[in-house]
Amino acid sequence: MTKDEIIEVIKVVIEDNLDDVSAGDIDPRKSMKDYGANSLDMIEVVSCSMRELNIKVPRAELAELQNIEALADKFLEYTDA
Amino acid sequence: MPDNILNFSLADFFFNDNPDVLGAPSDFEEWMAHPAVRKGFSFFEQVLLEAPRVSTRILSNLDGREHRIINLTSYNYLGLSTHPEVIAASKAALDKYGLGSSGAPLLSGTLDIHVEFARRLAEFKGKEDCLLYSSGLGANVGAIQGIMRKGDYLIMDEKCHKSLVDGGTLSGAKMLFFAHNDLDNLQMMLEKAKGKRILVVVEGVYSMDGDLPKLPEILDLCEAYNAGSYIDEAHSTLIFGENGRGVAEHFGVEDRIGVSFGTLSKSFGGVGGFVCATKSLIRYLKGYSSAWNFSCAPSPAVTGGLMKALEVATRDSSLRDTLWANVSYLKKGLEGLGLDLGGSESHVIPIIIGPSGEKLMGYAGAMQKRGLFLQPVDFPAVPAHARRFRISVSSQLSREEMDETLTIIEDVIVKGAD
Ligand SMILES: Cc1ncc(COP(=O)(O)O)c(C=O)c1O
Repeated sequence: MTKDEIIEVIKVVIEDNLDDVSAGDIDPRKSMKDYGANSLDMIEVVSCSMRELNIKVPRAELAELQNIEALADKFLEYTDA
Repeated sequence: MPDNILNFSLADFFFNDNPDVLGAPSDFEEWMAHPAVRKGFSFFEQVLLEAPRVSTRILSNLDGREHRIINLTSYNYLGLSTHPEVIAASKAALDKYGLGSSGAPLLSGTLDIHVEFARRLAEFKGKEDCLLYSSGLGANVGAIQGIMRKGDYLIMDEKCHKSLVDGGTLSGAKMLFFAHNDLDNLQMMLEKAKGKRILVVVEGVYSMDGDLPKLPEILDLCEAYNAGSYIDEAHSTLIFGENGRGVAEHFGVEDRIGVSFGTLSKSFGGVGGFVCATKSLIRYLKGYSSAWNFSCAPSPAVTGGLMKALEVATRDSSLRDTLWANVSYLKKGLEGLGLDLGGSESHVIPIIIGPSGEKLMGYAGAMQKRGLFLQPVDFPAVPAHARRFRISVSSQLSREEMDETLTIIEDVIVKGAD
């Protein structure tokens, strides 16, 4: 799986979970917060994305990530493994 | 299970993929069985064999043996749970009313002792009325759920307690979390919610950091945006303010607070929670706050003890004066050791260790072996880069116990003895 494919998965999940956001408008250099996500929404997006990708990344490694792209990079480490 | 097993935490097993709805997630048992994880969990649910005083006995999970320890983990800030007058009052109430209230408060559970205690709490907090709940968590969940509706905005500090978050989730209101004590961020959210029904929620003393809210400025913003305010004074009631009424009194803003929440399980030394507000809001909540109207009224024996605890803690300032003297002494000692105490401004003092869970657990074990019971606080309760210990200072601490505490902390955390 490539990073771009991972980003696509995350975008769709964001669209499903947040109000008034469509996947096509999401810029991965931005944070989910920029699209109105609160911390509970972010937990939900991360969980759904991981289920979709069939990976399990410890939350402790996700806390400091700044944007969607960084999340995809982190996911990529786990899809390769 | 991957080799970075120690990076996993309870935050990672919330979503459950087990097709058996009554089973734990497939990898949860495996994770829990790992020796390193088991060691971490062994610090939880250690059994106290005596009252939760500063000096008590514990059945240690580390070696399965009984030990006398200095307990800086309990919330018995003023030692009221074992105060002789409190115990006598509780016994008298037990004799008079029995163990339970045997009913929901709206039906048959309301006893004269509940009415009187609620009246005194309202008077103490300078509010028109008060609702008593059987648990502090229940009071927050019940009050928030009772006040907020779908379409409303609940704006809370990101460090607010889980009970406040759960109340918000249950209510269906839109929830926004502002960066801790960040007024610009709060204003941005208020701007976003402008025109809606908005409730802003903060705490009096943040329970993992021991710092205070920027209350006057936060209330300025609430007023500018026509938002209601709710303060959780779980850790500050009976401790802050000239008369012990809490952080709102400390800042001189009591009359600007919409809802004042307190718990009865910490400085009060009992169990339960209460919410003070206008008569009209309390009357409304009685109809819609499920944790109140669908749950049995508090035990009269506990209520009797609590009424005395309020009296003892407020008839003069001696207990909180002693507590504050202990806070100064311990803080000075800890600062002298060069430890990172975060931004604590209260009797709740974190000792921030950093990102290493292994170090945290190592220190916790070594301190306990030396006779100091300090519970480690790990991710996800606190950020992964700031794992910590949290000292709950008590008025019961003697000078000798504080010196012993400082020596153990110095030997273990500063010098690395094990
Ligand atoms: C800030 C805060 N609010 C509410 C509660 C819940 O109170 P209780 O433990 O009495 O149910 C706690 C304590 O755990 C708390 O720290």
